[in-house]
Amino acid sequence: MSQDKIGTDQWVEQYQGRVNRRNRVALLVDRASKRLPVWAWLIILALVAATLPLLTSNDLVIRIAGNVALLGALALGLNVVVGYAGLLDLGFVAFYGIGAYAYAYLSSNFIGIHLPTGITLIAITVISGLFGLLLGLPSLRLLGDYLAIVTLGFGLIFQQLMTSMTRVSIPGQPSPVNLTGGPNGILNLDPIRIFGWTASSVTDYYYIMLVLLVVMMLVIYHLYKSRLGRAWSALREDELAAEAMGMPTRRLKVQAFATGAAIAGLCGGLFAAWQGSVFPSNFDTNLLINLYAIIVLGGLGSLPGVLIGSLVIVAVPDVLRNADLAGKLFYLGAIVTLFGALKPRWQTPLLLIAVAVFGLIVKFIILAIPSLGWAPLPPVGSAYLDVIHSWLVAPANPVLTGNAGNIGFAALLILGLGVTRIKNTWARFVVLIPTLYLLVFVWETRLSQEASVTRLLFIGVLLIVLMIYRPNGLLGQKRVEIV
Amino acid sequence: MPLIELQDVTKRFGGLQVVNHLSLGVEPGEIVSLIGPNGAGKTTVLNLITGLYRPDSGDIRFDGRSIVGLSMHDVTRIGIARTFQSLRLFLNMTVLENVMSAAFLRTHANWFDIIVRTPRFRREEAQIRQLAEAKLAFFGERLVGYRHDQPAYSLSYANRRRLEIARAMMTEPKLLLLDEPAAGMNPNETGEVTELIGKLRDELKLTIILIEHDMSVVGGISDRVIALDHGEKIAEGTFDAVATDPLVVEAYLGHDERHNRK
Amino acid sequence: MAIFFATLPQQVINGLTLGAVYALIALGYSMVYGVLRLLNFAHGDVYMVGAFIGYFVMQALIPTSVPVIVIALMLIAAMAGCGFLGVVIEQFAYRPLRNAPRIAPLISALGVSFFIENAVQLMLTAQYRTYQTEKLIPPSLGISIGNGRLSATRALVIISAVVLMIILQYLVRNTRLGKAMRAVAIDREAAAMMGVNVDQVIVFTFFVGSALAGAGGVLTGLVFTNIWNLMGFTAGLKGFTAAVLGGIGNIPGAMLGGFVLGIAETFAVTFISSTYKDAVAFVVLVLVLLIRPQGLLGTRITQKV
Repeated sequence: MSQDKIGTDQWVEQYQGRVNRRNRVALLVDRASKRLPVWAWLIILALVAATLPLLTSNDLVIRIAGNVALLGALALGLNVVVGYAGLLDLGFVAFYGIGAYAYAYLSSNFIGIHLPTGITLIAITVISGLFGLLLGLPSLRLLGDYLAIVTLGFGLIFQQLMTSMTRVSIPGQPSPVNLTGGPNGILNLDPIRIFGWTASSVTDYYYIMLVLLVVMMLVIYHLYKSRLGRAWSALREDELAAEAMGMPTRRLKVQAFATGAAIAGLCGGLFAAWQGSVFPSNFDTNLLINLYAIIVLGGLGSLPGVLIGSLVIVAVPDVLRNADLAGKLFYLGAIVTLFGALKPRWQTPLLLIAVAVFGLIVKFIILAIPSLGWAPLPPVGSAYLDVIHSWLVAPANPVLTGNAGNIGFAALLILGLGVTRIKNTWARFVVLIPTLYLLVFVWETRLSQEASVTRLLFIGVLLIVLMIYRPNGLLGQKRVEIV
Repeated sequence: MPLIELQDVTKRFGGLQVVNHLSLGVEPGEIVSLIGPNGAGKTTVLNLITGLYRPDSGDIRFDGRSIVGLSMHDVTRIGIARTFQSLRLFLNMTVLENVMSAAFLRTHANWFDIIVRTPRFRREEAQIRQLAEAKLAFFGERLVGYRHDQPAYSLSYANRRRLEIARAMMTEPKLLLLDEPAAGMNPNETGEVTELIGKLRDELKLTIILIEHDMSVVGGISDRVIALDHGEKIAEGTFDAVATDPLVVEAYLGHDERHNRK
Repeated sequence: MAIFFATLPQQVINGLTLGAVYALIALGYSMVYGVLRLLNFAHGDVYMVGAFIGYFVMQALIPTSVPVIVIALMLIAAMAGCGFLGVVIEQFAYRPLRNAPRIAPLISALGVSFFIENAVQLMLTAQYRTYQTEKLIPPSLGISIGNGRLSATRALVIISAVVLMIILQYLVRNTRLGKAMRAVAIDREAAAMMGVNVDQVIVFTFFVGSALAGAGGVLTGLVFTNIWNLMGFTAGLKGFTAAVLGGIGNIPGAMLGGFVLGIAETFAVTFISSTYKDAVAFVVLVLVLLIRPQGLLGTRITQKV
């Protein structure tokens, strides 16, 4: 038997085992995904997701779920361009916008055209695909980062044109024409109408987005496991070698761009129909960053990864709008993080106790100096929050509380960054006590008050931390790169 | 008639004459080795043939027609495949995908086929999978079996070189250009590669141009050896004749002043 | 045409002012890219922080000090603060990713940018703040050039930018660290093997680049007066565009790119429409790149097989 092992290096043989040990989540997903074919998983996903409106009648929840599906589908399109073909397209959102505006032109009183939905959707997919083809052309000449900046510029120009083309002189027209509706957008778009059925409720659109997502996942999975998918990957890995192996790399690049653009356009059209209107601000850089966060969080090129990414990036920040829930999530998250990051493990409970005691001491000292004008935070009627509030002290004047929170935030940044540089376990333990106290203080006085800013801060931190600890995303395969 | 023929080909980079009025021909079924010191222009010759560079003057004819100006993938399409000296695998794709990807030019499934998975698509996919496995099987137990769904970067150096050859074979070439296939291998593996190249010619009727520094490989399988120096052909013939040619010895070892004075 | 020539001197002056700021931002982008091959998306936000540091120094000192000293202190504080910020960003967000896939630091940079913008918003709100330039430099001070007028503020901006660039050029050409920086830019590993302390070079690069952006922020505040927490995004893009325009990684190229972009934009605003100001930058960029993919002063990279 040992004959069989000739030339088998041990390293290679144990490779899969090592990969799996390193990435348990990916292993679980990998194992699960091999048990059933992809279409079976998609049916299960669709069935499970389809029951959501039966479980809750809360429109907000269904709307968020619809958004998760929509952005998931959109991110799948981006994944084709970035994850598979390796083209850094930062103008992707523009195609989404082109699709949305195309829908608006073809289904509203703006021009006065009302095409049947089916035809509109096909038309906008083709139109955005053609735009993708057009923008794909510079990619033939530009390398890597240059392509990134040109596409980013394209995205910005799109947004700017949509904002400013409100008075365009067209030869043959007596007065300037409003081509885009400007910042006020285009309103009163037709809803989706298919075979006499009109989508009217949030639930209807949720189902539409779900179908979109499932179809996209299937299409993209099929594309990936085909000659085209392999050629795109080859292109990403080594353009010159791909060309030498008989792949027409120029055509493939433009095709990848066009495919991504067509998907984005379709998503944009459905988005416009759902929203019932389009505005230039729907297609800003925040959306682009969210999309990149989704595909990178899940792992470039991973299909289930896109779902998870979309769930985290779209749903979590929305959940954070509910202050009580946000607080629970925040404290739970902080404690889980501590347990994960601190070794030995018994340090965490000890630390929590120490912080509690530290807080009490701070409170005792500060309240002993009445001239400061500090007092415990007012109760808000939530059991656990009231405990925390009575434990903290802050200036009684609300304006000063905010200021103290800001100063605390700055101090927290410095302490928080500093703490990661401390190697000695006990020194770190000691510094962590005031750091955590400050964290609670800043959360209660400032962060929980500014939910919209906090969620963006959260996404920023998430991106940095994720890249440091998991540069390949949650479900991504390890990748090697030779520069 | 030679399968591939370079006619008076010249290539300059700036002021540097890398290939200088070079003419050579390779008959079908022949194994021809290009040797010469570093910088002699050997790899440039391969780059000229595969269309990466365009010759400044002269003509390159394959199967009787000129291939100057064809894009690289078109050159591959008409039956010329190559490997790279500095290994250019698709590292993050699996071993099997690496080989299958090279079948792109011979597959025809269109978008509709791919998205709907038509029978035509399934048939074609099964076919190239089989073909790819057959190419890998050519390397005997080295590349068979459990390694096929591992990413290419997990392979050892020698296996990467083998995979590159398998990938090149997947394009079904008539002419195979091997750029230092034995570089970085131990003597044992070098022996295997030599044997393999012979097998490629005998069993698959390939014509092969080989660049190699390891003289045991060159001597072992070459029908003909061409020595280059400064982009010019300085000797051509059997291995023994070329290896002992004074010009070749001088190119490798440098000019010996004392010999000259005598 | 008559209007064109009548306003030409003023347009050039305005273009040079804008270009000077772009050039300062572009330099940091270009240097970091040269050394790390990293698109530092957070660079524009460092510039924004610089503008705010200058603003607060100004608020604190205006009642008590001589204008010249105030301006000098604003610049020094902003440059030191931003330089330090740049080093911190590098330490925490980029250094752990030095050997990661290329997209990882890019995403991390987006994260840093997001974080800084929103941290500033959290602490200072999203309001515009206004530089009280008129209390430092009398608006009436200035000279006439043809039909145009070069105000003292604009002169200050252009001169400071040029002086900083000359200092930078000296640093890069003549000091040990500058030479090391150029070596790292060409080949990091080879430089490391030759005994160059790569980490030190990278820290130096970030410090200098970010300090220049900080100076750019203060100068922007002085001449255009309004600053806010999202000003860095567009400015960063313009700076990056300028860097690419000149040939990224190339220091004189970044300066040239900045000035070209500034002038092109000013002309476009005057002769086309101010609504298309930002679009013009990218149209110029695309045109230049399609003709010279390596940028104005960049060198073509040949592929080796």
